[in-house]
Amino acid sequence: MIALNGIAKTYPGAVPVPVLHELDLGIDAGEFVAIMGPSGSGKSTLLNIIACLDTFDRGMYELDGQVISSLNADALAAVRATSIGFVFQGFNLISRSSAWRNVALPMLYTGANAKQRYGRAQELLARVGLEDRADHLPSRLSGGQQQRVAIARALVNDPSVLVADEPTGSLDTRTGHEIMTLFDELHASGRTIVMVTHENDIAARASRIVTLRDGRIIDDNRNTATQGFDS
Amino acid sequence: MISWSDRVAESVAALRDNRLRTALSVLGIAIGIAAVMIVSTISRGGNHLVFSELETFGLNSVWAYRDWANDSPLERQRSGSGIDSSDVEAISEQRDALGIRDISPIVRTNRNTPARRGSRFANIQLIGANVDYLDIVNDRVIAGRPLMRHDEQQRLAVALVAPDVIEKLFDRNEDPIGKVINIGERRITVIGLLAAKSRDFLSSIGSAGGENANDRMIVPWTFLQRVRGDTEVDHLHIAVNDFDSAALVADDVVGLLGRRHAGNFNYSSETMASYIATTDTILGGVAIVGTIAASISLLVGGMGIMNMMGTAVLERTREIGLRMAVGARQQDILWQFLIEAALISLVGGVIGLLAGAGISVVVVWLTGFPLLPSMLSIVGALCVSVAVGLLSGLLPARRAAQLKPVEALRTD
Repeated sequence: MIALNGIAKTYPGAVPVPVLHELDLGIDAGEFVAIMGPSGSGKSTLLNIIACLDTFDRGMYELDGQVISSLNADALAAVRATSIGFVFQGFNLISRSSAWRNVALPMLYTGANAKQRYGRAQELLARVGLEDRADHLPSRLSGGQQQRVAIARALVNDPSVLVADEPTGSLDTRTGHEIMTLFDELHASGRTIVMVTHENDIAARASRIVTLRDGRIIDDNRNTATQGFDS
Repeated sequence: MISWSDRVAESVAALRDNRLRTALSVLGIAIGIAAVMIVSTISRGGNHLVFSELETFGLNSVWAYRDWANDSPLERQRSGSGIDSSDVEAISEQRDALGIRDISPIVRTNRNTPARRGSRFANIQLIGANVDYLDIVNDRVIAGRPLMRHDEQQRLAVALVAPDVIEKLFDRNEDPIGKVINIGERRITVIGLLAAKSRDFLSSIGSAGGENANDRMIVPWTFLQRVRGDTEVDHLHIAVNDFDSAALVADDVVGLLGRRHAGNFNYSSETMASYIATTDTILGGVAIVGTIAASISLLVGGMGIMNMMGTAVLERTREIGLRMAVGARQQDILWQFLIEAALISLVGGVIGLLAGAGISVVVVWLTGFPLLPSMLSIVGALCVSVAVGLLSGLLPARRAAQLKPVEALRTD
């Protein structure tokens, strides 16, 4: 599903800073991959590249059989709209828009009409347990509820990959676990998930843990034991 | 791909989110458009007013008269106007060759000649002219009849009378036609009524010789010659065939008069064409100054939009990054901000138009200018305002569209 071959990226500047060194990574459909590593190890850059948000200097990236490295800006936008769902640490909801409009936002750019958008947004809000909050503004939702709205938004175009950057980083432990339960459920239903985290107990829920240091993969550990829900 | 109605809806939502800032930007454009509207109303109305007053002298008019200013001391001793009946005849005969449409000799009394009817008095001016005079100065007879050839030939004491004279000498419900007005010991019969003429604006700026066009009586010039007991003519009032050749005709007539009087008198002329040229220059200058002032205010309004959109792009950098992350293309971001700018200026333009129209009505009411609404200027103002919005929004919108998604998402 995801094939990264020899991906390299250096931040230019007076002193060029290499962030990724000839990195190879393959992720199959249905995997739940946690990317770990100390700050500055390049894990967020890797995630952004997977999410087609960031560019790279060398190497080849194939997503769903499509060679991403050869796409222009508009085609990349189309891939982000249809194949990627991104969950941010800081939620990134539009504060003036109601929950359902936030959920439906990606559908604007795929040209869905208002009726389709509303119906699909309701469906996904129900999926994350917020069917009665559709018309609430983000400011009237708790942090956990806001992140649920953001997850619903990431799923609205039924993407091949759900990408999450420290999705529990802004939440208290209890709420964080609730959100993780949601990710577990999504994984159990066959969704491919790539998540950056620095918390071991969060990573432990993944089916595979990839550890980065200084732009290199130093550990790639498939954890067949941790399948499923909290016991 | 996002539909245009959704684009507009997104932009409207963003503008509603920041009502005060949106309102101020709308106000800036509204003031600019209103200023343009008002300047154009005043300019067009003023132009129309001045030209309709100039028309009361006849736009094709040329005046030829003795030039006292250039006389030598010896010449100055010669009395008389230097023009007489035979000159009128001679010029009339050559009118086609000279390019003259109509020519009337003018014999005038003093401006404050007392007229009496029973116990009523009025100070008037008698203007002696021929049958063509009404056509030259665009006068209209609204009752009775105009001057006729035989009035001229018989030197009859008949008059066409302007409204102010009628008002002063007659009762409101009295029919003046056929009645007699006394000027000194002369008894003059009213044969027709002249339509009112307005020269209020020109009089108010000290022009038009301080003449009130509405206290005149037009009589046959031959009658006034008979009263004065001579064959002299005060000046010639000519209408040329072709407006653009007025100066040439005037020179020819002056030259002809000079030759006929063998250098005994100097002659001079004036043309309405030269007055109109001067008026055009003055009104054009005023219009340019006004247009520049109005344009500056529109420009300031545009800069208001540019400033607002620039701030909006800065504030919403994260939102832009998010939209890109969920699939917005660069052009989608560009259009979102361009539409916001265009909406502001369109709404501002409509408000400015309404306000400008309202103020124009007040201005027209205060000044007596005619109101000349122009579809062209309305459509023009709206197009200009949208163009101002689009241009002002273009720079900030481009900046937004060219943001890199990762960097936009990283900002706070």
